[in-house]
Parts: sequence; C-alpha cells; structure tokens
Amino acid sequence: MSQAWIQHTFSRKRFRTRNQATALAILGVAILLILGSLYLSQVASFAITNRQIEELIRQRDDLKRQNEGLIGEIASLRTVPRLFARAEAIGFRPATNADIDYLLIDGYNPNRDRLAVTADDISELEAPAPVYDETFGSWLEQQLALLQDQFRSFGA
Amino acid sequence: MQRMSSQQATIQARLPFVALFLILMAAYLIINLANFQFFPRSVRQELEKIGNSITNTTLRIPAERGRIYDRDGEPLAFNLVQYRLGVSPALVSDSEALLTALSEILDIDDFELYRKITSDRVWEFVAGPISAEQGQAIAALDNISLGLEEIPKRFYPQGELAAHVIGIVVDDGLRGALGVEGAYNDTLSGRVLDLSVSKVPFDLPQDRPAEQRGQDIVLTLDRDVQFWVESELSKAVEAYNAFRGAIIVMDPRNGDVLALANQPSIDPNSFLDIVDPNLRVNPAVNETYEPGTLMQALTVAGALDQGIVSEFWTYNDTGYLEVGGRDIWNPNFQSHGVTDVNSILTNSLDIGAATIALEMGTERFYSMMRAFGLGQATGVGLFAEERGELRIPGDSDWNESFLGLNSHGQNVEVTPMQMITAYSAIANGGIMRQPRIVRRVINEESAEDARPTTIRRVVSAETAEILTDMLTRVVEDGAPEAQLPGYTIAGKPGTARISTAVAFEEGANAKILSFIGFLPADDPQAVVMIKLDRPDGDYGYQVAAPVFRRVAERLVILLEIPDDTVRSRLTAAEAEISASES
Repeated sequence: MSQAWIQHTFSRKRFRTRNQATALAILGVAILLILGSLYLSQVASFAITNRQIEELIRQRDDLKRQNEGLIGEIASLRTVPRLFARAEAIGFRPATNADIDYLLIDGYNPNRDRLAVTADDISELEAPAPVYDETFGSWLEQQLALLQDQFRSFGA
Repeated sequence: MQRMSSQQATIQARLPFVALFLILMAAYLIINLANFQFFPRSVRQELEKIGNSITNTTLRIPAERGRIYDRDGEPLAFNLVQYRLGVSPALVSDSEALLTALSEILDIDDFELYRKITSDRVWEFVAGPISAEQGQAIAALDNISLGLEEIPKRFYPQGELAAHVIGIVVDDGLRGALGVEGAYNDTLSGRVLDLSVSKVPFDLPQDRPAEQRGQDIVLTLDRDVQFWVESELSKAVEAYNAFRGAIIVMDPRNGDVLALANQPSIDPNSFLDIVDPNLRVNPAVNETYEPGTLMQALTVAGALDQGIVSEFWTYNDTGYLEVGGRDIWNPNFQSHGVTDVNSILTNSLDIGAATIALEMGTERFYSMMRAFGLGQATGVGLFAEERGELRIPGDSDWNESFLGLNSHGQNVEVTPMQMITAYSAIANGGIMRQPRIVRRVINEESAEDARPTTIRRVVSAETAEILTDMLTRVVEDGAPEAQLPGYTIAGKPGTARISTAVAFEEGANAKILSFIGFLPADDPQAVVMIKLDRPDGDYGYQVAAPVFRRVAERLVILLEIPDDTVRSRLTAAEAEISASES
C-alpha cells in the first residue's frame, strides 16, 4: 500500500499534468491581470482626459463671459453721449457744414459704389412671370438627351 | 409482476401529458425571455430613462440670445451672464467657514446667510441675480453644497438710444417684446436645452450645441444719426412744450431706416420700472394718427399720375366746399380765387385737395392711396406694426364725404412709418422701396446684407419729378424755415387736428404738427419726417420745419452729402470720366 502511494505521489506523469494545469491557470490569471490593468489604465486615461476637457470647456465659458463683459464695458465707454462729452471737454465742437471742404480729385468718382435705383431694378420687378410650358413629349426628349449624354460620357 | 406492468402502463400513459406540459412551460418561458430581450420601444425608453436617471443628470442650458448691432457694427444689445445661488444645507460640512467665505463675496446680511446655510430644508435659495464676477468667485470656492444657476441678462449698452427700435425682452430674457427684439424674436432667441449629462467620468463631456445660440442681427440704424436725431427731438419737444414727438430718417434709395426716435424715450435696461403703458409702444409704428395736410401731396401725386390734373391745372377756390354732406373749409377759412396746384401744396388748401379728389373719383383716388401703402403695414420689421385705416367704398362705415376728407388727411389713420414710406417713393423717382430696419442676419450659413427690395412703382418717374419740383417750391415759398443754405430741399409741412370719436378735440394744442422733407431734392439721399404731438404753435411750417432744418444740418455732415455746388461739380466730373471711358 505504501509503495502504491509513493508511486502515486511521485508519478512524474501525473505531476507534470498538474504542473501544466497550474501553469495555465497562472498564465490565465496573468493575462487577465495584464488585460485588467490595461483596461484600468485606459479608463483612467479617459477619465483624466475627460476631466481636462471639462476644465477646458469651463475655462472657455468663463473666457466667453469675461469677453462679453468686456464688450459691454467697451460699448458703455463708446456711447455717443460719453464720447461727445469727452470731446467737448478737451475742446472739440461739432463740425458744421462751413467747416467741411470737399476736394475733387481728377479721375476719381466718389459715387462709383453708390447704391442707386436704376432701370435694371425696375425691369426685375416688371419681368414677366415664368411660364410653365413643358409637355410630356418635351420632357421625354429631355430625358433621352440626358441619357445619351451619360452614355457618351461613359464611352469617353 | 402484473402490478409493476400496470404501474408502468399508467406512467407511460401519463408521460406524454407531462412531457407536453413541460414543453409548453419551456415554450412559455422562451417566449417571455424573447419578449424580455426585445422590448417594445416605449418599454426600452422607459428602462433607458431609469438607467440614465442613475448615471445622468439634467442640466438646463439657457438660450443665448443673438446680438443686435447698428450698421457699423456697434453693439446695441447683447447678453451678460448672471447667476442664481442656492445651497444644500445637508451637504455643508463647515457652516462657519462657508459663511465667512460667502459673506466676503455677497452683500447679504450675515445672520440671514447663516440661517439659510443651516436650514432644515433640502435646498435653500441664497441670492440672485448675482454678477458674473461674484458667480465666478463662488465657483472658485469649489464647495459641493453650493449650486450656481446661470441666468441670461440682456444688456443695452447705449441706454435709451434707439430704445423703441431695439425693443426689450421679458420673461427672464426668453421673449422679445417691442421693436426688433419682438419682431425678430424667433431669429434672435436661442433654444433652451435640457441637456442630459453623464455623471460617469469615462463618458465624454458634452458641450452645448452651437445651433442652440440665436442669430445676430445688424440693423440699418446709424448710431450717430440716431443720437443727433434724438437730441434734436428732445430739444424740440421741450422747446415747443409738446406732449411727445417722433423723427424718422430713411434712405429712399434702399428703404433703410437710418434713425427712428421717439420722445419721451425709455431705458430698456430698467424696463420693468416703467409704469406708463404709453411708453411701452413705439408710436412711429404702433400708433396711428390723422396725417392732415401731409396727405395733400399724395392726392396731388395721384392726380398727376392719373392725368387728372397737370402742373398748370387751376380751380376757383371759394373757401368752402361741401362733399357728401360734410363742409370743408380752408385753414383760417380763407378763399384764394383762381388757384393752381402749387398753391394747394404751398398753402395747404383743403378745398384744392378735395376738388382734385372729386375730379379723380373714388376708384382712382383710393387705388392711388392703396398704392402709396395706406391701410397696409409697411413690413419694416418692427414689433406689432399697425396697418392704419383707410376706409374705401364698399366698407360699411364709408360714405361720400370721406373722399373729400381723406384728400387732406382727415378720417384716415396712418402711422408715421407709412407716411415717410409714401414720401420716400416720390423721392425715389416713384419707386417704393421696402422699408427695413434689419440689414443683415448673421448665421452659420451667411452674413450677407439683405438686398433692398422694391414694393412697386407708385407713380411714374415724370410724376415724381414734377411733384419734387412742387415740393421744392413749397419749401421755398411756404416753409422757408426748412431751408438749408447750399442745399435744395423738397418737403411738405403737415397740420392735423386731433379728432375724437365724435368730433375734433378742442384746445390750442389739440393738433399734430409735422414736416416731411428730402434732400438733396434733385438726388434724394435722405427723407426726414418730424412729428410733434400737441405742441405750442399753429402750423407745421412754424414748428416742425425748423426742427427738420436742424436735423438736416447734421445729416449732411454725417451722411457726407456735399452741397449743390460741389455735387454739380461732381456730376460734371463723373460725366467727364464716363465720356473718357466710353
């Protein structure tokens, strides 16, 4: 009996089998651990990036708000009554027509871009309404012509 | 043995039933399992909702309203952010530290603040609206018990300037009322969004969608012109002790409203403080009045265009005329004998206008008045525009006397915007341009100026030219107060009595005095309408014409309109250039 046990215990074949199974199990655990840590590191990286994005969005919104505030401040400082009062305080006065000299420069037409009502504007208004005169025959001809054009383009 | 086989036979007989029962049960379970796996949409949505309620939180993102600019890009209305602060007392770990921190930022009584921080309630409102700076300082505390909610605030940096044109917003900044804010509410207002935001840190943070923002609007208003017009109007209302007044400046070539002023004005930044409901409307488009003698020019224009009268036409003015049972008298009950068309306009002769209307007949007269846009909203782009009232034959309350009365602006209701649009058509060679206050809507697709559009040709170019000459003589002979040295002005003063439901109102100031003029008469670049309600003074040429001159003095500088001499030299130079090019 003892010999049988000894043979059983030290059976190299069976020991090898168990050794392989353990190794496989350890390998499996190791792979799982690697995959798990990869997953966790990826997730942590996502979380950090998302946190950074959130922070950037918050910063952008704050900057936008500050920008709006500055626009408001600038607009308040640039109101006409304020500019007018400031100009008067430093000795300016509103120009009158007598203060203005118009200089004519040879070859320069200051009215070249001026938007004026021309006969073209009216002709647009008075243009006849488009008439619907398409027939089935003309439609069919048009479709055939389109098809022929397509075949020609394939051939080319 | 016999007994065993009997039991086996019984079992064998019952076995199919048991098997069938088990098969049916299995099928039932499979069907239910399949049903569970492939839920109907409504169930799936409900389950998703339950799931999201655990992982997501809903943020209400306020709509960002579009900005409003003047034609040169100066901001007239935009948004500031304010906050509303609340606290969850249960989450406060150190109430004294929080009290100290908040009391340094907020201007609230410490006792009141402490009471809120230590309240038994789940959520306690602390303060609001508070400024963006205060809000950011509180956010920097990074205290989980505090909650900040954004509140959009509309800000009008120019204060009272063009207040009636820009308008106001109500309902916590969500809805526009009055002016452009009201008329273009759909364009300006963004969309309030309830955004479901994931609390899971691995989910990508959601940004507010760009399309949520309202579109920006650029007006045709010129801020500088508006300022001068408002200051001149303010002086005029005070000088003539008027109840109120309005001035509109329009470019007749494209229908752009360059300025629109009302006095008294409002401050849109503190609109809720205004208690007088009369100030919450824009009288230039929201209220009508009887235009009085301003209408005579339209009557004459219609008759000239229809070939009923010529510029040399005359009639015998006896000082009295009866039309449809109503007596018509000239101002001051004067008779003028044999009189021409020019005199009708220069002396504002009601009988002359009524005689011309009778010559035209109802059909021609009213078709011309409709062509001038009376009784129809102009579509200028301002909130709740009135369309006025032009009763025509066939209407239950029209009678024959209306033809005579309408010819000189009685029993007809118009808005100042309608009158200036009609005169602009004359100034623009007979072509009526669509009046507009919005020049451009800026969105993601385009930021192009809207092309000016034409409503119709009202009168021929020839008629417009003849009438312009007549209106020039009106200013020279009948309203020299409107003349501006160096410039040819065409215009017409208007005097209208204020009518009640039954008769004209009595009293020295029961009238509306006005003037519409354009300059330069030979190449009109600006049409100006002055209107003063219940002023001291008797006639439009005495009161409104001088105001027109003062506005025109400033306009020619701001709009860079050279005087007649310079312009004639320019015209000669232009002709020379075109000759050399051809």
